[in-house]
Amino acid sequence: MEELARTIREDLRGASKYLAFRLGNEEFAVPVGRIREIIPWQDITPVPQAAFYVLGVINLRGKVVPVMDLRLRLGMAGQERDARACIVVMQPDAKRTQSPIGVVVDAVSEVLQIQPSELEDTAALANGWMRQGYVSQIANCKGKVKLLLEIDSVLAGQMDETGALEAPEPAGRGKG
Amino acid sequence: MQREAQLLRLLDAVLGSVFATLPVAGTARLASHRQELAVQVQRTAECARELAMPGTEGAARHLAALLDPDDCSGDLQPRIEEQAERLQALAERELEARMMAAAPPAPSGPGMPWSDFVLESREHLANIEAELLRLENTPDDTEAVHALFRSFHTIKGLAAIAGTETAREVAHQTENLLDEVRGGSRAVSSGLIDLALASADFLGEVVAAAEQIDRGEGMEIPENAGMLLDQLHAALNAPARSRPGSGTRAKSGGTPAERRIGASAVKVDTAKLDQLVDLVGELVIAQSLVRLDPALLALDDPGTAKNLNRLGRITTELQKTAMSLRVVPVGQTFRRMARVFRDLARESGKLATLETVGEDAELDRTIVERLADPLMHMVRNAVDHGLENPEDRVKAGKPGEGRIRLSATHESGNVVIEVSDDGRGLDRDRILRKAIERGLVKEQAQLTPAEILDLIFEPGFSTSEQVTSISGRGVGMDVVKREIEKLRGRVEVRSEPGKGTTFLLKVPLTLAIIDALVVKHGENRYILPLFTVREILRPGGQTINTVEGRNEVVLVRDRVVPVLRMETLLGDSVLSLRGGRARTTEESVLVVVESGTRRVALAVDEVLCKQEVVIKSLGDWIGRVRGVAGGAILGDGGVGIILDLDGLMGKEGYGLAA
Repeated sequence: MEELARTIREDLRGASKYLAFRLGNEEFAVPVGRIREIIPWQDITPVPQAAFYVLGVINLRGKVVPVMDLRLRLGMAGQERDARACIVVMQPDAKRTQSPIGVVVDAVSEVLQIQPSELEDTAALANGWMRQGYVSQIANCKGKVKLLLEIDSVLAGQMDETGALEAPEPAGRGKG
Repeated sequence: MQREAQLLRLLDAVLGSVFATLPVAGTARLASHRQELAVQVQRTAECARELAMPGTEGAARHLAALLDPDDCSGDLQPRIEEQAERLQALAERELEARMMAAAPPAPSGPGMPWSDFVLESREHLANIEAELLRLENTPDDTEAVHALFRSFHTIKGLAAIAGTETAREVAHQTENLLDEVRGGSRAVSSGLIDLALASADFLGEVVAAAEQIDRGEGMEIPENAGMLLDQLHAALNAPARSRPGSGTRAKSGGTPAERRIGASAVKVDTAKLDQLVDLVGELVIAQSLVRLDPALLALDDPGTAKNLNRLGRITTELQKTAMSLRVVPVGQTFRRMARVFRDLARESGKLATLETVGEDAELDRTIVERLADPLMHMVRNAVDHGLENPEDRVKAGKPGEGRIRLSATHESGNVVIEVSDDGRGLDRDRILRKAIERGLVKEQAQLTPAEILDLIFEPGFSTSEQVTSISGRGVGMDVVKREIEKLRGRVEVRSEPGKGTTFLLKVPLTLAIIDALVVKHGENRYILPLFTVREILRPGGQTINTVEGRNEVVLVRDRVVPVLRMETLLGDSVLSLRGGRARTTEESVLVVVESGTRRVALAVDEVLCKQEVVIKSLGDWIGRVRGVAGGAILGDGGVGIILDLDGLMGKEGYGLAA
């Protein structure tokens, strides 16, 4: 509750707190309210027949939590993971009623405040991610560029009739 | 809004306790009862103070003053009751005033207290049904009338808070009707029971609709409200005189004590319960990791060993307790059956009693819920097909009134539910004839009597020669069998011509835990439900054959069984994670598994062990993946994937429809 109150106060002031992480050469930012916890890389049990960007499941204190490879989800090339790779456990919905999902990132960078004035008009550089709704805005924080990740669409599990997840655009499919 | 709901709950509890005081015998018990009541009344006063309802608060304090546990004279009781009723009246008036003062809530606005309404009402509705059926059976049961009155009263309050005027009005009118019964100016009649049941049904529909809003869907208030209200008004205005005379009675094996359980129960969100069970499961794993820690074992210290053992015992006990939280008595479902039974017997014009036994047998909540439909179907069958008409029964030398019995008993890790009737029994000749007609068996087939009876579970079989409005709607016993098998249970039927039919449903106590075979393939472990495993074998070179040069089959006890290599199931994504070279089928271990009548030999690298595992969902996000039933956390904290054999062997699975 206190955390929520703080977030609300900050929202009223206009600034919001974000967790920034790295994926390849890009820096992404996600509102801290959506982050449950950050856990180190660990063995992931693969799930047969799941969507290609689903790495598998892990045991998070007795709960079976699915883990997604964000690189593959965003159509980036897969890469060897180093010791800084970790799993960011995120909340797919703001109301926190759904079960959390682990998201693998290359490295977590920092927690930062982003002011509304730091958000750039991005219509001119709308790339694939923005068209697909995965990135909503771009922040320019003191010369460093952060892509604001749209968790709702990235973590959305679009079910088709068979119940399997629909894969994102096949173009730019990475290799795990 | 929550405060108001709380106040209503408290009032309900107080009134319940006040009227339950009468049968309490003995000074000591009366004292403790009054003490308990005093606490509830105090809390009511507090709640009223917070709500700024001075009248209610005053009445509650007055009542509290009367509840001196030292004064155990019976003379006090009428005054206590009088004060309790005054408290109720005042609270009602003040609450209503509050509701008027507050802006009427928009029926679909966000933040409505629907969940309170839904949760509370649901419970009261279940009680109402049970009590009404009881009242019909014993029309002079004043306690049942009191309980009914209170339940309708509470629902009325909840409906007012939630802002559904129609529901409030229906509850209110029904309450008035019951008030007349309570006051002795109206007798219990089957018409009255019917009407009260109709009100309860209507309120149930409103609750269901409210639940939909809670889920963000639109609300549709049921439409028959006008008619129902007209009936209620008509009944209230009609002179009150009629007698119980219906042919059906539901007899319950429950005792008054059982109905008082609610008083000491706590309502808990199931999500919290699941989390508790998850965490305890983790604790068990953590505990076993500590106990087996080589560093600790190397200590070889008797004190440490003793403490670790103690930790182990407590953890096991804790796990048992946690698991027991998920179970509920089967009685709730039985009570629903009583209602179905009553309506059916009415409709079919048969005379019958329903007897329920073993309502306190406990089962996993999910199983209890999923048993309801199959049970309802079987009760339906028993009334519609099982029992004869009263005339036929008398002709056959049996009492005109039929008997249907629902019972539940524990039997070695399972619960056996029995649905039996004393009707005409199953006609084996007719079953066989029908089965031949439908092409289910060959004409010259030699079947044992038991095998003939089992034919009724075949898909597409229905013995009813005339389709009635009650059964014969295309759902047959095959559906019942399938549903029970989904619960990992079994159905059996026994029948004696002229004497009756008995169905036995054997279901496990819980769905959360299964006996499993853990196998290893590549880096990963997979879990097979043990009850599907028929055989484990190492193939010799000569037993593996190929069909069309690619599909492998193996001969197991002269039966051709297709081989399913794990690679086929797992797909490329998992293979790429797997180091080393794939083993050939000859080098693998074959686990022969069975689902329905189909068998498949799974080729895996190793069979690890047999153990109990707790089934966990992989979450909505991954969705339902074909061939995967869930995950389980293994002894070392890793996750194993539970394979779903139905999915694996399904027609569209891997073309293994053998």
